[in-house]
Amino acid sequence: MSTKTTVMQERDVKKRTLVQNIVKALGKTGTYAFLLIMALIILFPFYWMIISSLKTLPEYRQAIPTFWPREIMWSNYAKAFEEANLGNLFMNTLYVGLVSTIISLVITVLSAFAFARLEFKGKETLFGALLATMMIPGELFTITNYITVNQLGWMHTFTALIVPFLVSVFYIYLLRQNFMQIPNELYLAAKVDGTSDIKYLWKVMIPLALPTLISITILKMMGAWNSYIWPKLVANDAAHQMITNGLRNAFTDTSGQANYPVQMAAVAIVSAPLFLVFLCLRKYIMQGVSRSGIKG
Amino acid sequence: MVDSKQQWKAWLYLSPAIILLLVFTVWPIFNTLRMAFLNGYGNMAAMGGATFDLGIQNFLKVIEYDKFIDCLKTTAILCVATVPISTTLALLIAVALNSIKPLQKTLQTIFFLPYVTNSIAIGMVFATMFNIVGYNPVERAADTWGIINNVIQFFGGEAISWINQGSTYTANIAVMIVYIVWNALPFKILILLGGLQSINKQYYDAAKVDGTPKARVLTRITIPLLSPMLAYVIITGFIGGFKEYSSIVGIFGEKMGPPDDAGRLNTMVGFVYDALEKDRQGLASAGALILFVIILIVTLFNNKVIKKHVHY
Amino acid sequence: MLKKIIAIVLTVVMALGMFALTGCGSKSANNAFVVPSEGFNPNETVDITFTHTMGAKLQEVLNTYIEEFNEIYPNINITHQSAGGWSDINGQINTEIAGGTQPNIAYCYPDHVAMYNIAKSVVTLDNLIASDIAIEGKDEVIGLTDEQKADFIESYYNEGLVYGDNQMYTMPLNKSTEVLYYNKTFFDENGLTVPTTWDEMWDVCKKIKEIDPECYPLGYDAEDNWFITLCEQMETDFTSAENGGQYLFNNDENKAFVKELREMYQKGYFTTQELYGSYTSNLFVEQTDTNCYMCVGSSGGASYQMSNNDTADGTYAFEVGVASIPQYSANNRKVISQGPSLCILKGANTTDQQILASWLFVKFLCTNIDFQAEFSMTSGYMPVIKSVTENANYKAWLEKGNGYEYLVAKCVQVGIDGRDDYFVSPAFNGSSKAREQAGALLLKCLSTDTEDVDKLIDDAFQEALDECEY
Repeated sequence: MSTKTTVMQERDVKKRTLVQNIVKALGKTGTYAFLLIMALIILFPFYWMIISSLKTLPEYRQAIPTFWPREIMWSNYAKAFEEANLGNLFMNTLYVGLVSTIISLVITVLSAFAFARLEFKGKETLFGALLATMMIPGELFTITNYITVNQLGWMHTFTALIVPFLVSVFYIYLLRQNFMQIPNELYLAAKVDGTSDIKYLWKVMIPLALPTLISITILKMMGAWNSYIWPKLVANDAAHQMITNGLRNAFTDTSGQANYPVQMAAVAIVSAPLFLVFLCLRKYIMQGVSRSGIKG
Repeated sequence: MVDSKQQWKAWLYLSPAIILLLVFTVWPIFNTLRMAFLNGYGNMAAMGGATFDLGIQNFLKVIEYDKFIDCLKTTAILCVATVPISTTLALLIAVALNSIKPLQKTLQTIFFLPYVTNSIAIGMVFATMFNIVGYNPVERAADTWGIINNVIQFFGGEAISWINQGSTYTANIAVMIVYIVWNALPFKILILLGGLQSINKQYYDAAKVDGTPKARVLTRITIPLLSPMLAYVIITGFIGGFKEYSSIVGIFGEKMGPPDDAGRLNTMVGFVYDALEKDRQGLASAGALILFVIILIVTLFNNKVIKKHVHY
Repeated sequence: MLKKIIAIVLTVVMALGMFALTGCGSKSANNAFVVPSEGFNPNETVDITFTHTMGAKLQEVLNTYIEEFNEIYPNINITHQSAGGWSDINGQINTEIAGGTQPNIAYCYPDHVAMYNIAKSVVTLDNLIASDIAIEGKDEVIGLTDEQKADFIESYYNEGLVYGDNQMYTMPLNKSTEVLYYNKTFFDENGLTVPTTWDEMWDVCKKIKEIDPECYPLGYDAEDNWFITLCEQMETDFTSAENGGQYLFNNDENKAFVKELREMYQKGYFTTQELYGSYTSNLFVEQTDTNCYMCVGSSGGASYQMSNNDTADGTYAFEVGVASIPQYSANNRKVISQGPSLCILKGANTTDQQILASWLFVKFLCTNIDFQAEFSMTSGYMPVIKSVTENANYKAWLEKGNGYEYLVAKCVQVGIDGRDDYFVSPAFNGSSKAREQAGALLLKCLSTDTEDVDKLIDDAFQEALDECEY
């Protein structure tokens, strides 16, 4: 009797682990299936963009879509580059992005240093006031900044695209936190050695805060790449147009045949640089984004 | 005692930031208020010598305007529909990602891809997926129905005009929801996955020992422990949702609607910019302030609700 | 912490906002320009700027004539720039006016001028035109001579007066209009006659639809122009510039024609630029799956209406015919007038000498026969003065006009022939909205699926009116 029970119990246990394993395996398969389906949904627009960009217009317009272009039309890319004047748009965007990133970094580093290392009257109040401005949505600033930029005579200049956005309270905050983690003893020691602030910043603080600075750089560049509303208001002329505005304009003023493949080629060209940067600097971008919370 | 040399040095270092903030952040706040309370203020009219009375007419005018109510409605629908969908999906994906080992990094990268795209550019891709080309209303025939309609037809459904002429508001909104959710997923997945990875493994080990079912683990352990992150993505989702603008431009172009009904999908931000371009800065300012107050209220409300449920 | 910050922000903002409110001065401005009694000083250097939308080829023409102008007035330095397209230039100049950096001379449509006039930035030209003050050392007076005035095509000249106050705001530079392009080869093969009235148009559409059921017989590019032109042709109300501008389009006659257009659209007789998603000239020219045999478009766009000649032997796919657009009644022929006029702008820092110099240049461009001829040949727009045919080159060019490679010339000829029919709609602060809404309401009424068409139309009109009056 007793031995029988033990055997049965043993068998039960075996059975149970088997069932558990099956459930577990099924669970895993389910998880993977779910993730893969979601990944396909996420990727589908990119796939559709690329194959559409390689089709001829008649093939694109077919009633039954093809999932791989019959004739690969690389020429669509050349055409897109030319039609949307992408070369020019790239240069404009790159210029605005680089200049504003560099100046912005200098301003941010100096301010963060002051807040993190220096003692001055009203420091806490000022810092609090800065943080408070983060609460106010940017749309509120746009209206007056538009007038201000206009009155400064900056309409249709790169200055109008760069200067109003040089200071980001959020970046100052981010970098200040980072600077504060660096032990104060280092600074005091440097001061005893007679090292100047700037040299100390350059030699000690910047290298230590490099990951944050890289994140800021990337976010700032992405900002230039994706900006649409402000450039549309202040510098939507051919000489200063930014990439997003140029792209949208090139295909909404309905001059000429709506050539969807060429349009998709242009979108692909515009998307490519960010993709490449992302694949190379994945860690920094994801880190920066998770801390910044831009683009809800 | 504060060292006086440090004192002026600090202000020197801060001066570029402070000057720029005064001009481009602080002044705009005051000026927006000023313009909002000057009845019918317009910059060009002011140059032409017009004067404006103090009052709240701009606000009344904004609130009474049917189209503004429509903008508000569209914005609210998009918010209410997209935030729960994208948050739930992101949560499921994050939990699933967290439970696997092989392929985790690759899939994580894929799920983040929509983030590094330009919302206007990819909007154009979504538009082509829904777009009907060469539609002839009499023959009820088209050259290209768009891939989404092809799929619907493949499963025996009937093609719908999603964004073209004759499309319904519901169809337009459905397209926007799909696009906005797609666009909002990466950020939410990133934050939630980050949160999941910082949860102490012991909780799960304990649950395993107890033999707690998976669903229960999710609702009883994961979600409560993840609640600060969930709160964060929900609040930023709502704030972003109320400022929705460029995703609609991406799909519908600057007309903000299907070709036969421009402006149908206009949002509050769109309303503000329209007024700005028509030299009605007073109206634009009032609209922006109303938007600000709405966001503030929604955020405070969210905070209150969330405080009840968040376990720090 | 959060609440505290909000509280601080709100109080500070309120306090300072109220403070800022008090600082609002007023200044008076009047735009009637008084010609100074000493006239224009041809010895003092004057710099003036000119913003337009000309492409590279037209700018070359302009440069040549700036040189010619500088031979007469070496003291006037003209710098010019292109602002891009028509919508760009309006936005750009609006913002420039607000910033005080507006150009002295600008390309303009009446709606734009009405907008600039809110800021009282447009110089009215009456005193300049009437001035008989001679210019030292030159054989001309500041104003226009009677011969010069009489040389202008009257309807074009009068476009400067549509602002409801009987003052002259603009000078016409070169004009375009809407014309009917048709596939002449197709018309001849099928024995169709070109419609001259809308009734004939619908008959022709019906016949074409029988021949080719898949097609859109007619493509109409500009919905807003169509609405406005029909109002004018049927003598129904659209807008009036009187009393600061009125919106009068919400009436039963207009609803009736919109309803008729809807019926025609539902029969598949036509499409428009917005509904098709691109200029309908593409349908007209391309000849792919869906054809289009007639196309109403700008005469300035004739080069886009030329049929393809990329066939194997280089011949054209079909011959293009050009005709005046259909009318409602032969007794009241009306065709919309478009294309650039010139206005003179002023700001706080603009000097009288700059205004005079700008005027002299405007006068030069509008009355110089060779410039008018060359501009027309380059752009496909119509000259605004009658004496332009004195230019032998131009005359020869016009005579070459045909339905193949010289379609542009043929088109200009059609435009010139119809010169007595031109109109522009009244311009006032808000007239651009009326135009915008007219196009939008037509679009909505054409394609929206509904059981109750009358209600749809009533609602669309009411909504458009509300939007205008908002």
